[in-house]
Amino acid sequence: MSFIEFKNVCKKYPGSDKNTVENLNLEIEEKEFIAFVGPSGCGKSTTLRMVAGFEEITGGELYIEGKKVNEVAPRDRGIAMVFQNYALYPHMTVEKNIGYGLKNMKLPADEIKKKVDWAIQILGLEEYRYRKPKNLSGGQRQRVALGRAIVKNQKVFLMDEPLSNLDAKLRVSMRTEISKLHRELGATTIYVTHDQVEAMTMADRIVIMKEGVIQQVGRPMELYDHPKNQFVAGFIGSPQMNFFDVTVENGTVHFSDGNTLPLSEATIKKLNGHQGEMILGIRGEDLKVDAQNMELNKDSHQHAVITDTEVMGNENNLYFEFGGSQAVARVSKYEISQVGDQIDFVFMPSKLHFFDKETGVNYMEEV
Amino acid sequence: MLTKKQKRINWILVAVLLVLSIFFLFPVIWMLANSFKPDAQITADMNTVAAFIPPALNGNFFENYVSIITDTNFLRYMGNTLLYAAILIVLSIIVNGLAGYALAKIDFPFRDQWLLLIVMLLIVPTETVITIHFLFIAKAGLLNTVVGYILPLIVNPFNIYLFRQVFVSLPDDVYEAAQLDYCGPVKYFFTMVLPMSKTVVATVSVFTFLNVWNDYLWPSLVFTSSDLLTAQIGLNSIASNENTTMGQTLAVITLVTIPVIIIYSLFSKQIVEGVTSTGSKEG
Amino acid sequence: MKKKNAIMGMAFFGPALVLLTVFLFLPMLLTFGFSFTDYFALNPELTHFVGLENYIDIFKDELFVQSFVNTVKFVIIIVPLQCGGALLLALAINKAAHCKKYFKVAFFVPVVMSLAVVSTLWMQIYSPEGILNTLLNQIGIDTQPFIHSASQALPSIAIMSVWQGVGYQMIIFLGGLQNINPALYEAAEMDHASAWQKFKDITLPELKPLCVFVFITVTIGAFRMLVQPMVMTGGGPDHSTYTIVYDIYETGTVNWEMGLASTMAIVFTVFVVVLTIIQNVLTKDREGRKHVNKKAKAN
Repeated sequence: MSFIEFKNVCKKYPGSDKNTVENLNLEIEEKEFIAFVGPSGCGKSTTLRMVAGFEEITGGELYIEGKKVNEVAPRDRGIAMVFQNYALYPHMTVEKNIGYGLKNMKLPADEIKKKVDWAIQILGLEEYRYRKPKNLSGGQRQRVALGRAIVKNQKVFLMDEPLSNLDAKLRVSMRTEISKLHRELGATTIYVTHDQVEAMTMADRIVIMKEGVIQQVGRPMELYDHPKNQFVAGFIGSPQMNFFDVTVENGTVHFSDGNTLPLSEATIKKLNGHQGEMILGIRGEDLKVDAQNMELNKDSHQHAVITDTEVMGNENNLYFEFGGSQAVARVSKYEISQVGDQIDFVFMPSKLHFFDKETGVNYMEEV
Repeated sequence: MLTKKQKRINWILVAVLLVLSIFFLFPVIWMLANSFKPDAQITADMNTVAAFIPPALNGNFFENYVSIITDTNFLRYMGNTLLYAAILIVLSIIVNGLAGYALAKIDFPFRDQWLLLIVMLLIVPTETVITIHFLFIAKAGLLNTVVGYILPLIVNPFNIYLFRQVFVSLPDDVYEAAQLDYCGPVKYFFTMVLPMSKTVVATVSVFTFLNVWNDYLWPSLVFTSSDLLTAQIGLNSIASNENTTMGQTLAVITLVTIPVIIIYSLFSKQIVEGVTSTGSKEG
Repeated sequence: MKKKNAIMGMAFFGPALVLLTVFLFLPMLLTFGFSFTDYFALNPELTHFVGLENYIDIFKDELFVQSFVNTVKFVIIIVPLQCGGALLLALAINKAAHCKKYFKVAFFVPVVMSLAVVSTLWMQIYSPEGILNTLLNQIGIDTQPFIHSASQALPSIAIMSVWQGVGYQMIIFLGGLQNINPALYEAAEMDHASAWQKFKDITLPELKPLCVFVFITVTIGAFRMLVQPMVMTGGGPDHSTYTIVYDIYETGTVNWEMGLASTMAIVFTVFVVVLTIIQNVLTKDREGRKHVNKKAKAN
C-alpha cells in the first residue's frame, strides 16, 4: 500500500466554473521525494495545500498511511510544512521558532531542548540561536523554516516553493542541503516548484501539471527522454526543446521551408502509421555538428545561418532559423561559431519526437 | 542651502514664532510657576514678571501639593482613574481586537455587512446615545459602580476598525504554520497576532488611556458622590470647593496633567502618527 | 470548514456584537423611538406617542433655540480661528529652519491638557483679579468681566477652546506638508515660480483634502461644545453659553425628559452626519486623483 494516495481528488473554488485541480490520481511511496512542477496556476500549490489541509478537498479522497484525511484537521495529519515566505513567527527567536510546536505538544523541556539543539546544529544555526527573523538573511530564515519542520519528526514534509525567494547561488546550495536532509531523515516529501531544474535535481519522481491535470509522472530522466506530450517536452529541459511544424509523408519529414529529412526504419516503425501534419521535436544537444555524427548521417545534412550565440563556457548555444522556426543547437566548446556563419548539422535519428498537432501526444511514446 | 534673502526671512520667521510661542504658553507657565506659591504671593506677584517665575526653593515649596495630597482624596482619584484605564485597555484590546480579527481574517457569514455597519457607526457622535447609556446604567442599578462606568466604554467601532485594518495585512501562512505547530485560533490571537501587531496595540492602549483620563461627561454622570471619582471629576469638585486656594487649584490641575505628559513623551511617535494618520486616512 | 469558520467568527466577533447591540444599536433605536414620545424616565408608564410634536416643540422652546444659536456662534468663532491658525502655524513651522522641534511641542502642549484642566486654569486666568486682567491693566485697558458677562462669556470660552485645540490640527497640517513630494517644488523652481506661486499652485492644492478634513472635524468638534461651559459658567450667565449638547444632557439626565432629549439628540446627530457626508463627498475625488497621479508616475 502506498503512503499517500490521491483518488480522483478535485478542487473547485466557489464562484469558479472550472476545477482548479481535476481528478487527480497519484500514489506516493514512503520516503519518496516527489516534486510537483508546472507553470503558475497549474494547481500544484493547491494540491499541496489540500494535502496539508488548508484547502478543502471538494471531490475525491486523500489517504495518508491508508487513512482517509479529507476531514482531518491539518495538525492531526502528521505533516510538517515549509512555506514559500518562510512564515516564521516574527517576535520569536530562532530557538523559540523551532521549538514552538514541540512546546505546544507539551513535550518535557529537556526533550524540547535536545531536539531544538539537534535541529540548530544540523542546519548550522548555532550563531543565530537568539536572533529574531528580521535580523536573519533569506538563507538563514529558510534554514529556520526547515528546522521548524524537521524538529517535529513528522512523516510527511510539504515544501511550497521554498527556494523561490533566494538568490541563484544560494538556491543551488540549499538544493543540495535539502536533498541531504531528505536522505538523512527519510521523510516522505512533496516539493512544489515552478523551477524544473529544482525538480530534476532533487526529486525521485516528478509530477508535471498543467491546468489542474497531471501531464506525466516519472523519474527525471524518464520525463526528459520520454515526454508523453509536447507540454512535458517543452517544460523540461533548458534551453527548450526545438519544435518544428512538419508534414510526414512516405517516411520523409517535410519542413515548411522545403527542407526534408528521411526517417530511419526504426523511427518509421515507431510512428506506427501516423502521417501528415504534426510537430517534430528534438533537443538542442541532439542537433549534432561534430565530425563523427556528420559522417554517420551523411545523407541528411542540413544547413542554416547562425543568428545568435550564447557562450556558456563549457558549451555553447547556437541559434538559427530552420524549418520555419527558431532553433537552437547545444554544441561543445570546441565547436564555436560566429553570428553569420553557415553551419551544417544533422538530426540524431533516435532522438526525434513527433507530437500530434491537436492533442500534443507524443507518437513515439504511445505504446 | 539658503540664500541670503531666505536666511533673513528665516530669522524673522523664527523670531515671530518664538514670541508667539511665549504668548501661547503663558497660561501654562503661569500655572506651573504659581502652583508652588501661597495665594498671598500669587496676588502680590501678579503685577510683576515674578508672576511667571516659580518661588525660591524653600521648605514650603511643595506646600500646595502636599496639602492636596494629604487633605483631599485626590491621589485616590488619580489611582481610580489609572485602574479604570488599565481595565479598559485590557478589555478594549480583547473585545475590539477579537472583533477586528474576525472581520479581517475569518470568513464568517455577513462579514462584509458587519464591517460596513462598523464603518457607518464611526459617524455617529457619542452624545446621541449617552443619555440612553445613563438610563440603562441607572435602571440596572449600576450608578456609582465601576462596572456601570466601564461597561458602555468597552466596545469602540473606531478601535475595531483600526485593528481590522492592521490585521488584514498579516500573512496567512504564519497562521497556517502555527496550526501545524498545534496552536489553536484563540491561542494564536493572543500569542501571535497581538505580539505581531505591537504598534496598533500601543496606539489603542494610548488612546484608550487618554480617553479615560480626560473624559468628563460620562464619569460625571455615573459617579455622583463617592470614593470612585475619576481625576477629572475630583479635580472639578476640589476646584469648586470654596476652601480651596488658587495655588491648590493650580497644583491639582498640574497633578492631573503629569501622567498625560508622561504618556505623550513616551509615546509621542505613536500619537503623532495616529493624529496625522486620522488626517491622511479620512481626508 | 465553512461551519467551523462561522462558529469561530461568531465566537470572536460575538462579545463585541453583544456590546455594540446593547450600547449602540439599541440606544440609537431607542433615541429614535423616544423622539416621537413624551417619555419621562421617572414615570415610564405614562408614555404616549406624540408624533412629530417634539420636533415642533423644541424649536418653539426658547432655551433650545438659544442653545442652538449659541452653538452656531461657537462654530462661527472657533472654526476660522482654529483652522486658519493651525494652517498658518504649520506653514510657518514647516518653513522655519531653527527650533522646529520646540515650536511643535510648544503649540501642542495645550492639546495634552484635558478640557476640565484647561477650563479650570482659564477660570483663574479670566477672573476679574486674574493674570489676564492684570496684564491688560498694565497696558491701560480696563478690567474686563470675561466669563462673568453675558456678552463676553461665549467669545472668551471660544478663544480658550481655540488655544486648547489648535495644536492638534497644526500637527495634522504639518504631516500633510511633509507628505508633499519635494520634487514638485524643485520642478516649480526650474519653472521660475515665485514663492507665492509655489504656495498657490502646489501647497494649497496638495493640502486641499486635508483642509476639508480639518474644517469638518473642527466644525463637528465646536458643535459638540459642552465641557468648557459646564465647568466654567454652568451655561450662563443668562444661558449665554448654553449649548445643544448641554441641553440634551440636562434635559435627559437631570430632568429625565428622555422624549425631548432624544428629539434634540436626533436633530444634533442629523447635523453631524450631514457634515460628515459633505466631507466625504468633498474629498471623494481625492481617490480618483491619486489614481491618476499613480498612472502619470507609471508612465
